Amino acid sequence: MPTFNYDGHQVAFEQGETIIAACARAGLEIPHYCWHAGLSAPANCRMCLVEILPKPGTRAVSLDIVELDDATGQYKTVQKPKLQPACQMAAAEGLEVKGDTSPHVHQARKSVQEFLLLNHPVDCPICDQSGECKLQDYWLEHGQFKKRMRDEPVHKPKAVSFGPTIVYDAERCVMCTRCVRFMEEVAKDPVLEMRERGNLNEIAVAPGRQLEGHYTFMTEHVCPVGALTTKDFRFKARVWFLRTAKSVCQGCATGCNAHLDYDPRYNRAYRYRPRDNMAVNKFWMCDEGMVTYTRAHEGRVLDSRANGASASNAAALAEANQLFSGVNKSGVAFVLSAQHSLEDNWALRQFATTLFGSNAFYVSGAKNGYADDILISADKNSNTAGVKQLVPDAKPFEALVADVAAGRVRHIIALGGDAPSDASALKAATLVTLASHEGALTNVARVVLATTSWAEQSGSYVNVKGLTQVSDAALAPQGSSKPAWQQLADLSRVLGSDASWTKLKQIRTLLDAESPARPAAAASPATPAE
Amino acid sequence: MAVTFPKKPVSARAQAMHVEAAKRTITTQAYLPEVVRGVAVSMQHFFTNTKEMLRGERPDPVHERLDPGISTISYPEQKRPYPERFRGVHRLTVRANGDPRCVACLCCSTACPAQCIFIEPGEYPEGDSRRGHERFPVRFVIDELRCIFCGFCVEACPCDAIRMDTGVHAVPYDSRDQFIYKKDLLMSFVDRDGERRDDNPRHEPGDPSHPGIDRKRAAH
Repeated sequence: MPTFNYDGHQVAFEQGETIIAACARAGLEIPHYCWHAGLSAPANCRMCLVEILPKPGTRAVSLDIVELDDATGQYKTVQKPKLQPACQMAAAEGLEVKGDTSPHVHQARKSVQEFLLLNHPVDCPICDQSGECKLQDYWLEHGQFKKRMRDEPVHKPKAVSFGPTIVYDAERCVMCTRCVRFMEEVAKDPVLEMRERGNLNEIAVAPGRQLEGHYTFMTEHVCPVGALTTKDFRFKARVWFLRTAKSVCQGCATGCNAHLDYDPRYNRAYRYRPRDNMAVNKFWMCDEGMVTYTRAHEGRVLDSRANGASASNAAALAEANQLFSGVNKSGVAFVLSAQHSLEDNWALRQFATTLFGSNAFYVSGAKNGYADDILISADKNSNTAGVKQLVPDAKPFEALVADVAAGRVRHIIALGGDAPSDASALKAATLVTLASHEGALTNVARVVLATTSWAEQSGSYVNVKGLTQVSDAALAPQGSSKPAWQQLADLSRVLGSDASWTKLKQIRTLLDAESPARPAAAASPATPAE
Repeated sequence: MAVTFPKKPVSARAQAMHVEAAKRTITTQAYLPEVVRGVAVSMQHFFTNTKEMLRGERPDPVHERLDPGISTISYPEQKRPYPERFRGVHRLTVRANGDPRCVACLCCSTACPAQCIFIEPGEYPEGDSRRGHERFPVRFVIDELRCIFCGFCVEACPCDAIRMDTGVHAVPYDSRDQFIYKKDLLMSFVDRDGERRDDNPRHEPGDPSHPGIDRKRAAH
């Protein structure tokens, strides 16, 4: 691989790659606003200027610049090298690039920073971006100046509603056009544009349109400053109170990698942010996926239930024991859930085969929905492929409904609360379900054992491409819920036989032993986005 | 197993400070003569003080104002004046129209080492000139039981919205929920002089005094 030199680091690059992209891949950050690894580079913010040394023996391209001499108070002519934007300059073998080590680059960054902050309202205390804002970061690194402008700042529109999800503040905007380019290049819906010029420049929605569709939240996420904010997260929390967990989106089978931001003081999730993974979602997530963090709190089964009444875990287990005493064990049906993790489903399969000797497996989940060719899959379950790996011949949910109606199945132990179709026919059978969320199955179940949601437990999910991805636990278990594999171990003990697993680690070891060839998704992103 | 530690040697200074017990004499052993001598000393001070007080040569230590050297006051009828920068119970300053100056930025809550400030921010409704420029506290709660009166919240506030100049120290109550001070209560407090003082006059967005030019007034 050819290399070039950046501040003494040898940086490898691929043919045609820009300096900033190669540096970002090597973990060297060149300050930038408008460049984004997943978007085209307009080179309009001028923050990523670098100095490129001339080839030995040639003269540097330099500019005559008039500069104020602090000592004499007079202007003087000085020669400065012509700086190049690293986001447009293609890397070349043996290039000598200076960034942090060049005083000219430092001066350029400071001047750009001052220029961008000329009319900035500096309302950081009430700005949602505060704490993760590039203007703040680079001001600390390259600015640290006081405002020199004596003129009145220019006021531009504030709190403009761009659509059902996004609010725009033109005063905070640095006109990097990332949102414009995102809508055009990734969402394929060029609805945003720029209007006016100079210091009245602002982003606007195309006349007669709204910023809507399935990828509006991403415009807020690519915004390096606080100009775009989502109505969902606006004023909800300060980002420095939030902790983050590496999560996997549960919205559909794509399994986008995400950061789940939560406040440990209130044990509450606040938002999803996309986590870069070139193999799955690159840098993006859809709107539907980004609001699925609300499922960590909405519709949760917080306490176990027995015969419709809230019960302690022990009482619910005792009731389940009573329901299943004297039952023909091999006639019990088991429903795996495409919405639960591999570990949970493995535990249910193990529970069924060892304790009941049953092979009557069915699979449930949410019903299919909208799909597109960008990210969204029609299958709205996060682990359909995982269940298929565990039990390849599991029958669909409709077969269970038919079997119950025909009287072939009288007793069911199910995982998950959701069902793809009407489940009222299951009332005829004795149903015990382990559910984290309310759904069709919890409505007809005799006993509901409360399990933790994906946000409260670590679990592996196999996405539509067959990649196994681990989602970390963020929140503490809510109510009296426990992980499903733990509830199954408890149920197994109550039914008279200790389960072979007591820890998540054991299940993972056994899962790995079962299919060592299961491809794991790349743990770290190939290219950091920002 | 019992562990025996070496005894600490007695230092020379401690030896020098050693107090000798009273020597045994006939009067100490007889007890009564020494009692009479002690009472006589007390009575001598009593009569001297009474005489000087009646003659006006010395102030009454209980009923007179504090004078240097006298450390007893009859609290709570008398109170020591608190120093000027004493940090008392918080108050929220208000604007001319009675709204809180607070913009719900949570800087105070971030600075608070006791985590006793809870704020729920809200957005001004459509049409309000402050919409977009500011937010406001829907709920502002201070748990005065948790508060350690460090004053960091006052220093952190960018809007001079929270102050601790009421001159009132933490008040005892009957129940815990009385210590939870909510927004309306905090806004009702005044400073130690009974005023609703604050600094830096506000320029509300939309006012002619609000700095800045907009597209209508731009010269280009």
